[in-house]
Amino acid sequence: MSNEVYAFTLESTLDEIQNACPDVTSNFVFKDGKIIAKNKKTTEENATQTINAFDAITERANALGDVDNITIQSTKGKVNIAAMNDFYVTTVSSKEADEKYVNTLTRILIPIVIKLSKKIQLASLENETIRIDQPKSEDNKDEAAEGAVEEMGESDEAKDQSDQTYYEEEKEETAPVESETYEEPEQAEPEAKYDNDPLLPEPPVTQLIVENLSGLLVPSDTVRIDKEVITQWAELYGDRKIKEVEVEALNGKITRCKFKQIKKSKDAGKGIVKMPEKIQLTLETQQGELVTVKPVIE
Amino acid sequence: MVKKKQSQENLTAITVDADELSANLKENKTYKDLTDKLAKIRKKSGVVGYIIRNATSAAIDLKEPEKLVEYAIFSSKLQDSSQEISDQFKLGDITNVLIEGKQNKALCMNIEGNKISIFMERDADDADILKQISP
Repeated sequence: MSNEVYAFTLESTLDEIQNACPDVTSNFVFKDGKIIAKNKKTTEENATQTINAFDAITERANALGDVDNITIQSTKGKVNIAAMNDFYVTTVSSKEADEKYVNTLTRILIPIVIKLSKKIQLASLENETIRIDQPKSEDNKDEAAEGAVEEMGESDEAKDQSDQTYYEEEKEETAPVESETYEEPEQAEPEAKYDNDPLLPEPPVTQLIVENLSGLLVPSDTVRIDKEVITQWAELYGDRKIKEVEVEALNGKITRCKFKQIKKSKDAGKGIVKMPEKIQLTLETQQGELVTVKPVIE
Repeated sequence: MVKKKQSQENLTAITVDADELSANLKENKTYKDLTDKLAKIRKKSGVVGYIIRNATSAAIDLKEPEKLVEYAIFSSKLQDSSQEISDQFKLGDITNVLIEGKQNKALCMNIEGNKISIFMERDADDADILKQISP
């Protein structure tokens, strides 16, 4: 996926973060030494100089491994550079900024926007491929291509992309196109299966803060979750058994594990997930960081 | 009695700048206090080592002494580049820097002219260490 697509969505997100939290004085996203997006208040020079200084640090950071996060605390404010989904997000905030609020905004919004942009782009590409494939079997390629573009009613850029995709496909001639077309009936089979099953709601995603879970008798493959969350799942899925949960860290790492209810009443209702060290290592997360948890429906 | 007279004759006058002497004494005291604190922190589990240096002295204690040069260059680069970044956004002098890698992390700070870098494993409690070392 090209960086231009991310740039538009990320720039809007960065501006919104600053609107929501005026104590964020500057923020920008970079990847491989290049600025991908920056908010209105960040100058090109500031961003470039910061990236150069960051690169100078990472070049010498072999002893630490790949750099995930840098927090520079100064007398008048703070700079944070955090790795998120192959991007580095830089946030500059004043001394008065609410650290937790800024972190929550940045570390939740940016990865979500990156993921969504990726998914939307992939989905639109798939749609374009299907629409373009269908007319090809009717031996009327030119008319069909025009029709497909008109139907989409999207921006000029999207139209250009679809035209480009169509012509690229056309060059490849029949063999690969046919194989894609014949795959369609196979894809229809699972849909028929769904008709027999009762429709289940999408598993709800809950954001929780990681807390350490340790002790001699603590199983290393089980997390502990709030009773309220488990009850909500039970109400949502009725008789369906939920044996496992899918935990996803902010860096995109996902793992499945068993779960139990939080035992201590003082930890209840705090929005935390108690996690053994082994799972934290798998997810490359740690105490105090956010993860999303959703039930795995059997 | 004769001996006492001789010693008095050999004395030479030395001019002492009281402010400078007091500053040096304070600097040495801060450095000593910090090295004592660092020695305690070094014993904590997960702490890989530390480097402390000021204009006149330096002390290094690392788990892997063969990586001394690597750590020293990194520590210096981190402090200089962090200050550059801070200057870019007009945030003033840096008080501390925390850098987290996939395996280890480092906490750097500047306390009264003493540049300190503490290296630790990823799961070590950096907040607690910062609290301990801060004046």
